[in-house]
Amino acid sequence: MAENSKNHWRSLPRERDNPAVVDAGARDEFPEPPPAGAVQLDRRGFLQAAGFALAGVAATGCQRAPVEKAIPYLVKPVEVTPGRAYHYASTCGACPAGCGLLVKNRDGRPIKLEGDPEHPLSRGGLCAAGQASILGLYDSRRLGAPLIAGREASWEEVDADVTASLDRIEAEGGAVRFLTASIHSPTELASIESFLGRFGDARHIMYEPLSSSAILDAHQRTHGVRILPRYRFDRAKVILGFDADFLGTWISPVEYTAAYRSVRNVDTESNGAESNDTRRAYHVQFESRLSITGGKADRRFRIAPGEAGAALTELASRLAEKARTSFEKGSAPGSSVPSDQLVSLAERLWSAKGQALVVCGAQDVRVQILCNFINHLLDSYGSTIELSPASNQRGDDDQALAELLEEIRDGKVDALFLAGVNPLLDLPLGTDFPEQLGRVPLAVSFAQRNDETSEACRFTCPVPHYLESWGDCEPVAGVVTLQQPCIQPFGNPRPLLESLAAWSGESQSGESKSSYDIVRATWQQRFSGAGEAGDFDAFWKRAIHDGSITVTAAPTASPSEAIIGFKSDAVRAVSAARPIPEGRYALSLYAKPAMLDGTHAYNAWLQELPDPITKIAWDNYVCLSSAAASDLDVHQGDVVSISSPEIKDAVIELPVVLQPGQHDRTAAIALGYGAKASERFAGLGPKWLEKRDTVGPNGRVGVSAARFLQVAGGTLQHSLTTVVIERTARKHLLATTQTHHTIALPEHLAPRGAERREVVEETTLAEQWQRLHSPHAAHQEHHGSLWKQDHEYTGHRWGMAIDLDACTGCSACVIACQVENNIPVVGKDEVSRRRDMHWIRIDRYYSGDDDDLEVAHQPMLCQHCENAPCETVCPVLATVHSEEGLNHQIYNRCVGTRYCANNCPYKVRRFNWFDYAHDDRLENLVLNPDVTVRSRGVMEKCSLCVQRIQEAKIEAKRSGVALTDGSIRTACEQSCPASAIHFGDMNDPGSRLAGLLENPRRYRVLEELNVAPAVNYLKIVRDGKPDKQGAPDHG
Amino acid sequence: MNSRILTMTLVTGVFIVALMTLDAVATWPLPGSQQGYEPVQPIAYSHRLHAGELQLDCLYCHSGAETSRHAGIPSASVCMNCHKFVTASLGAVRAEDELAQQENRRPREVVSPELAKLYSALGLGDNREPGPGLKPKPVSWIKVHNLPDYAYFDHRAHVGAGVNCQTCHGPVETMERVRQAEDLSMGWCVNCHRAANQSGIAGRAVDASIDCSTCHY
Amino acid sequence: MASASSALRPPLIAGEKTPAQVTKDICSVLDSKPTALWWSGFLVSLAFLLLGVVAVTYQVAVGIGTWGLNSTVGWAFDITNFVFWVGIGHAGTLISAVLFLLRQQWRTSVNRAAEAMTIFAVICAGIFPVIHMGRPWLAHWMIPYPNMRGPLWVNFRSPLVWDFFAILTYFTISLTFWYVGMLPDLATIRDRAEPGFRKKLFGVLALGWDGSYRTWIRYETLYKLLAGLGTPLVISVHTIVSWDFATSVIPGWHTTIFPPYFVAGAIFSGMSMVLTLMIVARKTMGLEDYITVGHLEKMAKLTLAVSLMVGLAYLTEVFTALYSGNPYEQFAFANRMFGPLGWAYWIMVTCNVGISQLFWFRQVRTHWGAVFCIAILANVGMWFERFVIIVSSLERDFLPSSWADYTPTSIEVATLLGSFGLFFTCFLLFCRFVPVIAISEVKGVLNVGRRREAPPVISASPQPNPAEGEGVPA
Repeated sequence: MAENSKNHWRSLPRERDNPAVVDAGARDEFPEPPPAGAVQLDRRGFLQAAGFALAGVAATGCQRAPVEKAIPYLVKPVEVTPGRAYHYASTCGACPAGCGLLVKNRDGRPIKLEGDPEHPLSRGGLCAAGQASILGLYDSRRLGAPLIAGREASWEEVDADVTASLDRIEAEGGAVRFLTASIHSPTELASIESFLGRFGDARHIMYEPLSSSAILDAHQRTHGVRILPRYRFDRAKVILGFDADFLGTWISPVEYTAAYRSVRNVDTESNGAESNDTRRAYHVQFESRLSITGGKADRRFRIAPGEAGAALTELASRLAEKARTSFEKGSAPGSSVPSDQLVSLAERLWSAKGQALVVCGAQDVRVQILCNFINHLLDSYGSTIELSPASNQRGDDDQALAELLEEIRDGKVDALFLAGVNPLLDLPLGTDFPEQLGRVPLAVSFAQRNDETSEACRFTCPVPHYLESWGDCEPVAGVVTLQQPCIQPFGNPRPLLESLAAWSGESQSGESKSSYDIVRATWQQRFSGAGEAGDFDAFWKRAIHDGSITVTAAPTASPSEAIIGFKSDAVRAVSAARPIPEGRYALSLYAKPAMLDGTHAYNAWLQELPDPITKIAWDNYVCLSSAAASDLDVHQGDVVSISSPEIKDAVIELPVVLQPGQHDRTAAIALGYGAKASERFAGLGPKWLEKRDTVGPNGRVGVSAARFLQVAGGTLQHSLTTVVIERTARKHLLATTQTHHTIALPEHLAPRGAERREVVEETTLAEQWQRLHSPHAAHQEHHGSLWKQDHEYTGHRWGMAIDLDACTGCSACVIACQVENNIPVVGKDEVSRRRDMHWIRIDRYYSGDDDDLEVAHQPMLCQHCENAPCETVCPVLATVHSEEGLNHQIYNRCVGTRYCANNCPYKVRRFNWFDYAHDDRLENLVLNPDVTVRSRGVMEKCSLCVQRIQEAKIEAKRSGVALTDGSIRTACEQSCPASAIHFGDMNDPGSRLAGLLENPRRYRVLEELNVAPAVNYLKIVRDGKPDKQGAPDHG
Repeated sequence: MNSRILTMTLVTGVFIVALMTLDAVATWPLPGSQQGYEPVQPIAYSHRLHAGELQLDCLYCHSGAETSRHAGIPSASVCMNCHKFVTASLGAVRAEDELAQQENRRPREVVSPELAKLYSALGLGDNREPGPGLKPKPVSWIKVHNLPDYAYFDHRAHVGAGVNCQTCHGPVETMERVRQAEDLSMGWCVNCHRAANQSGIAGRAVDASIDCSTCHY
Repeated sequence: MASASSALRPPLIAGEKTPAQVTKDICSVLDSKPTALWWSGFLVSLAFLLLGVVAVTYQVAVGIGTWGLNSTVGWAFDITNFVFWVGIGHAGTLISAVLFLLRQQWRTSVNRAAEAMTIFAVICAGIFPVIHMGRPWLAHWMIPYPNMRGPLWVNFRSPLVWDFFAILTYFTISLTFWYVGMLPDLATIRDRAEPGFRKKLFGVLALGWDGSYRTWIRYETLYKLLAGLGTPLVISVHTIVSWDFATSVIPGWHTTIFPPYFVAGAIFSGMSMVLTLMIVARKTMGLEDYITVGHLEKMAKLTLAVSLMVGLAYLTEVFTALYSGNPYEQFAFANRMFGPLGWAYWIMVTCNVGISQLFWFRQVRTHWGAVFCIAILANVGMWFERFVIIVSSLERDFLPSSWADYTPTSIEVATLLGSFGLFFTCFLLFCRFVPVIAISEVKGVLNVGRRREAPPVISASPQPNPAEGEGVPA
């Protein structure tokens, strides 16, 4: 299949292995830049290619080989060999966190994104959204040409119109506004600045629906500069989180997860030790709903959204005493958190002075100032919080946003440019806003798809996917990463940089500047400006080759001289929010790790990814605690209507989900749903008699809750203090992938003494410490067998170890596996029928009660048992054991009796119930050519990425070197931000895995069955508390 | 008595027929087997001439075989290494020369019709120079050796282990037009792997796994 | 045989039949036009059959997804129906082979029908393993035949392969047995038919039967041999079917008691089905004299006996679970009884063990209506037994995270109905075209001249007697 797309190969990006390459080859291949017509040809060409692929897929079913064409290059670029994969360093554009990427290119097209292990921030991990963002590249519904008032136009027309009206506005001195998401690309910032430069009244405003504006404002007040500090979780020993889901969605989750893990890992001597000063970081989370961050916390308090301030006030006053600083606590009513807890917490913090970190997600400047104050008292600034170099991952300014919206309403804006934002989806704008926007004389939206906002704008300028264009990022001042194109753009989009260049009159010479030149120019200038040693070309090549590079922060990027010492006069006590009136509830609006702010609503993979906590896919819903649910007399799936007395005509109807660990008086709703982009999922999934549709009654996936956002006190509020919840008669089908939520059995069925199934094992810090220091205490009970070994394993013996203590449940591995192994999307109905196809699923178990909830995440994949129950029962030898300890599933031999799946104790086998859609032929280009696309009626399951094993083995043979440990990394392992997954050779005593097998925390699930899995688990480490027996059943 | 003889003949007959059917089943080609497949290619390229007479090394054109899972089909530029200069068979050129002498004029350049296709594919006009309005268009060859998409054959492993191209592709150097010589059935692969593990290849011991995942994943 | 003439026992065949009458009574059905009752029955079952055909076609065309299965519950209606129908089959072989060897004369009135039932049941059963495959068009891969794949054989460790062989053997033997047993009667029909197609057809089918002494001897020997061959199958087939579950690791499946348990169950369901059919047959085809209340009572007793065995099996299962101390096993049974599928479990117990206890009472045993109802219920119960075993065990296995529930789809229900349609269609056709009762064998148990002092007929098989023309070429 791979061969077919060779002739469609296009640009040649700089390659990691060979930086010096220039894309001469590609140029020769297509002498002149293809005109618009030819571009259409290109796409058809791509479809053709995919067509062959499709035919190939069909062939697996009907076993009739079609006439296959092999179309070679006319002129093959020297450094490209068809069939070989090349990795190019780039930067992820899925969110402003700017994680490092290695783009796996195969036959001229990117097929997989991997985290860049050398990236200083993300350190090799890549989140679910990042992994899935490659699907956007092959999205057949992206805009191919610019739109003027909804009709396709040429760039020339657009340029003419826009420049004309710009000149007019410039002459009239009209107001020009540029609204973007957080941008930290030096080049983009610069070019926007220079673009706006010619206008008298021009502003560039950034905003994020998941705003962090309050943090920046707070630092403006306390440190004199409006910046987002860089949080160094990797230096913290005590971590306090207030409504900040920093492992899931807050600012830069991948970076934070890696850092967090490094101070939480008990296997490293420093963290494993007993004494408080060197023990692993202690994490306390205050939150109103259960986030994956809260799930990892050692201690978790449920507080109402408005309560963070009060809790912080109490802490502040205690710490102020210790620091002998004056702090006017005032007679504010205390928080609901028992004060003795806060006292001991203050003790802990104080004892970890200089190593403590308090982060707060509250969108309230006063609260953030308190947070800064506490961090100041604890000497966190300079150690666990860096103001210089600061982070650029958020630059949003809600005050400015509010003003802009006002201006638009009053019709004061003459030109409005929107880039990478969709305010009509994610901001609480009235229904009349579209036509207000329409009234703006010049409204230009830079977008990849025709979304809510671009529909309302006169001009829609398609921008390329970040894998198609040149760009640069500076997520943290001084950390520079580049984006390089890995494929020629589909259709005829134009990068923002080029559009701006074309409109700012710089290109009067005629031919417009390419974004490559623009980016390079910026760096040339910066390079000479910063007076770096060496010549620029070397620097440039190194930068492209490495993807990320550290330079001296640009003077503008971090105004270190402007930073003043802590100004404590801003600090005020914050009293608890007024209590929630009886029968009313507080509302907390949050983001799901996959869906984030809804930018990825078009992405089927992310829509189908079960939420790490609720395990529900394809929907948003209102989370209620069981107490609240019983007050309202509603059950899981009942539709309720939520309305707010504070906001007019804001009523939405959502199904109820019972969420353990949720604050009793708080309802939580995920943002980013109900997007226009999700209308495409109507009719998704296999068509048959009893099929139910994927989209809801509104024709979209979920319902947008953006109406409940509001700008108050200069910040975009993610919470409301009072909403009214009323039950309706209707019920709503929720696609849940796990319906029994604890390892405790239902009481009335549980055998005595076996009320819990210890599939997730836990240990305590103390126990762990003892084991670490008494080497021979390792448990390792060995099951002797009367029979001789079935398998010899003379060569390799592949295995895996998964550290449950590290796993946060973020589900990046699930998507990584889906991309790598061509796993189909099946749609809501199939998921609700428990037929999700993910090869690796993350089982989530609760124990304890709402006030002291413990969460366990267990990645569950094929265990590659040595005595595999599936192997004995397959009548046609379609699943067999390999000489290297793998359990193979041979799709083309499988007749689909499903006996193996029945007999699998772990229920990790997945069956192709239907022929799942592969009819979007452009989208088919994302398929991994090294993995068979399974046909209908065939069983499939995790193969431990056998294609990667084979590739590595063959390469090793070819180059005559032995396989080294770590040279094979499975997709899930590669993507894991917490590096919880370790694949390796159990027969290699030196391997990382072999070491982990000796770890006292190591155990195997259902070991008592003596199926001898090759996948091992490391126990969760709980802080002090022995694990409880007979935990209640939330199921 | 006769009836008994009749019965015995019948029984033996049935037995023999059974044996024959069994044998027929055992050697029945798998569905989709294309042994003997010999499609007409867009350009009548002769392996007999290039690999046979001219003794070109297979890897000169199919250079991918060493480094990639696909041996690959040479890009037109590779052909041009020679055919920039060689535009027709020696015979044709001589004939033209003689004709020219008879008509005492300068011999015209002879371009064989097949090579003309190559040049047009490259968008080259007279004397192999890119001409105006000539668009390059890749040659779409027809794959002769097709494995099903669920079978992953890797040239690297085999060339690296020293397997001769002919082992799988047959005596290509004798073929005017390439024909699928072997049946490329699973049994054929597996038996070769078994044999290789016993006897080694070219005197070197090899590890030719017969795990399913060697080819199927 | 001596017993047959004793005054203590009622005659097996009521109404002082002479052999000639027997022939006439039984064959008259075949000569006459089918009754409205037959037609209605036939059309109804044909309708169901067609429904089933549609359902299966749809499922094969669209995918197994049209069934209510999921990643956790991989088998439900499909294998339930399979085991159910195989079970039904058993009574046939039991009656024809085992009772024959045990010289149970009363079997003669029912064995023909019972054997036919077996064959049709096995046909119904055989369909499910094929259509339950994800790729039924590759079903032939279950056959170990030499091939060009290396060669690649089947997995002889897999119970499904054993199944395949078991069912095939069973079908072949039963078919042969049935056909051989029918030879004399086919000859009878041939002889009665006036020249024409029918005569020719039955002439071929009768394999040139000439009712000669030698033919009879051969026939007797062959029949005994086949009976001998058939007997072990009564045990083996369902034992092997039970291994599908017994050899797995799933709690509630992984049990050593399954083989005897399944065999008992099979016979139970089989007997009930025979009862059902027989009662229908004697009512609709006026065979009260041949299938007497005595027959029903005998079969009722047999049914009661096996139902007790089944009950014992249920108890043993639960005891094993309790006694084993294996928490998974214990949970599996707690869940089976009181879990989401508890209702099905109690239906099964009531129908299979509870209600059939009424057979202790003579009045019940001898009242055809009562017997009919109980038999029907027993069949329902036995279907649920398989359903409970398969589904309840799968729904709640080892990892709580993967627990899932199962609800059947319309397609599955239609397929089940279809299998009944097929069964009854075949059976009704059978009633029309071959004697429902083994004429020759029944003649053997007639007590001709019972009141006379003359010694009764000695041999179990009727001597060709010049007095009666049937079976002998004129």
